[in-house]
Amino acid sequence: MSIKAAYDGPLEKVNDYCWRIPKSYREGMRVDGLIFADEALLEHIREDQAPEQVANVAFLPGIQHASLAMPDIHWGYGFCIGGVCATDPEEGGVISPGGVGYDINCGVRLVRSNMFYQDVKPHLERLMDQLFAHVPAGVGKGGRFHFKAKELKHLMTEGPAYLKKYDAATDGDIAHTEAHGCLQGAEPDRVSQRALTRGEDQCGTLGSGNHFMEVQIVEAVYDDVAARAMGLEKDMVCVMIHSGSRGLGYQVCDDALKRLRGVPEKYGIHLPDRQLACAPIDSKEGQEYIGAMGAAANFAWCNRQLLMHQARLAFEKALGKPWQSMQMNLVYDVAHNIAKFETHTTGGKERKVWVHRKGATRAFPPNHPETPDLYKRIGQPVIIPGDMGRASFVLVGQQGSMEQSFGTTCHGAGRAMSRTAAVKASQGRKIEEELRARGVIARAHSWRGLAEEQPEAYKDVNLVVEVVHQANLAKKVARMKPIGVVKG
Amino acid sequence: MYEIFEHTADLGLRVEAPNLEGLFAEAGRGLASMMVANLDQVQPLQVRELTLPGLERDYLLFDWLTELLYIFDTERLLLVDFDLQIHESGLHAVCRGETLDPARHWLDHEVKAITYHHLKLEPTSTGWQAEVIVDI
Repeated sequence: MSIKAAYDGPLEKVNDYCWRIPKSYREGMRVDGLIFADEALLEHIREDQAPEQVANVAFLPGIQHASLAMPDIHWGYGFCIGGVCATDPEEGGVISPGGVGYDINCGVRLVRSNMFYQDVKPHLERLMDQLFAHVPAGVGKGGRFHFKAKELKHLMTEGPAYLKKYDAATDGDIAHTEAHGCLQGAEPDRVSQRALTRGEDQCGTLGSGNHFMEVQIVEAVYDDVAARAMGLEKDMVCVMIHSGSRGLGYQVCDDALKRLRGVPEKYGIHLPDRQLACAPIDSKEGQEYIGAMGAAANFAWCNRQLLMHQARLAFEKALGKPWQSMQMNLVYDVAHNIAKFETHTTGGKERKVWVHRKGATRAFPPNHPETPDLYKRIGQPVIIPGDMGRASFVLVGQQGSMEQSFGTTCHGAGRAMSRTAAVKASQGRKIEEELRARGVIARAHSWRGLAEEQPEAYKDVNLVVEVVHQANLAKKVARMKPIGVVKG
Repeated sequence: MYEIFEHTADLGLRVEAPNLEGLFAEAGRGLASMMVANLDQVQPLQVRELTLPGLERDYLLFDWLTELLYIFDTERLLLVDFDLQIHESGLHAVCRGETLDPARHWLDHEVKAITYHHLKLEPTSTGWQAEVIVDI
């Protein structure tokens, strides 16, 4: 099979926004595959093997309901990006590092302010210079924070709450972070020395690739009540941060995949792709990964917390006011590469399942016990980064997510062009100037990075968000427009 | 010889060589070329010896590239020149390179990880070829 081949298997229409790969498609599938998309997106989705990967995930022992994919689905390693799968330990369910991804707890946070576009516009160049100077970014760039092994263990056990002692986190920040930035059951002792070495100077660094820090304005409000609850108004200046667990998390995934060589066979698990490597949740190997993954997830929340802290300091320096007086409060922080033990109802039965979200975001509805008090009535905020020229979105989770997708929605736009194609398409152009003409000031460490991440390299996030809105997984609250970008 | 090929969100590395030792050495250079745009400016000033166990050739290639990535990530040491011996139970390599100097070396991609995705190592009519996709 060529790795460029298009998918030619079945995709049956369930409704305008959902398509089925029936479990009869391939022997060994335990459940159907379900892809949330409209007809236009489906045409793109068929172009590679991502739907085949949705079918492959349906082979995993203990999988419940269906192997799911969000409209920003694209081809990944074993699991597609945009994939969701829930496994029940009581039915021999497995945990799979491939269902989380290399960048454990890659995610996004949104910070609001009390300033509007016209307040910041005259100072924007200076602000971007300060952000670029304050926020370490780029290939393997070490940061200003160095944590020795003992402190790293605190970060991995306690999450951002540990950073309060350095005045780098507040109670409000913690309350508005998914899981309070602290997965229970994290076991730092399961994290290898190699991972600790890679992580020691990377907490509070952006990295490169698709990670970014953007200054944005609220361009449109779709839901006044929800926007007000989050403190968002039209033209308001916000900061969006996209990063993950850096080298520490990559190494945890790497270690786990190596540890799992031969393990599925040991437990009699037949897999159609070795990148689906997994272990029964209750096995020694499964528990080891769960402990290490939790530790890396907590580290990632600390990373985004320190990135936000440095952004607040950069705003202070550029605008000459304390961040508190600019009311730079965290709206919310969501993980989009993670596995979590949650309660869901499937087949008429309430169960505790391990929900793997790989390039997919939790989207709990109003009144869910895990939604913070401030957002109880509106639903959990969901932050969807788009591309650096067009838009990003703020949504809130809806009841349909609990009924259809284990409380999950999409995570972004998804790439439309490969990195090499994007660089080719940028020959003879000046991406930085093009962005400036669109009203976006970019600061990047690498021109190639900027070319690879140009707006045209991504699908239109509007199309993706429209599907999850129509499918009642999450509701549109606001569209954000970038005015400044920091890239690695 | 090595070449970089497209993969939607990431990059692929395709390598060909008349023998396994050459294949591993070219793969190492190919990986370095993803991380630094002007590889010809990296001098073989420092020496590092590596010994890796492994019975299966494809996993050994994976472990080899992972080790080079780890060394770069934690020590900023770019290894670009390799003298390898591959035997039944693993490999031994004398690697040469230098510490990254941002003034002279143009940093390119941050490679997060080597993946098992379509990891391929096979004999051809003229020697060996391998393909590996790296996570960017």
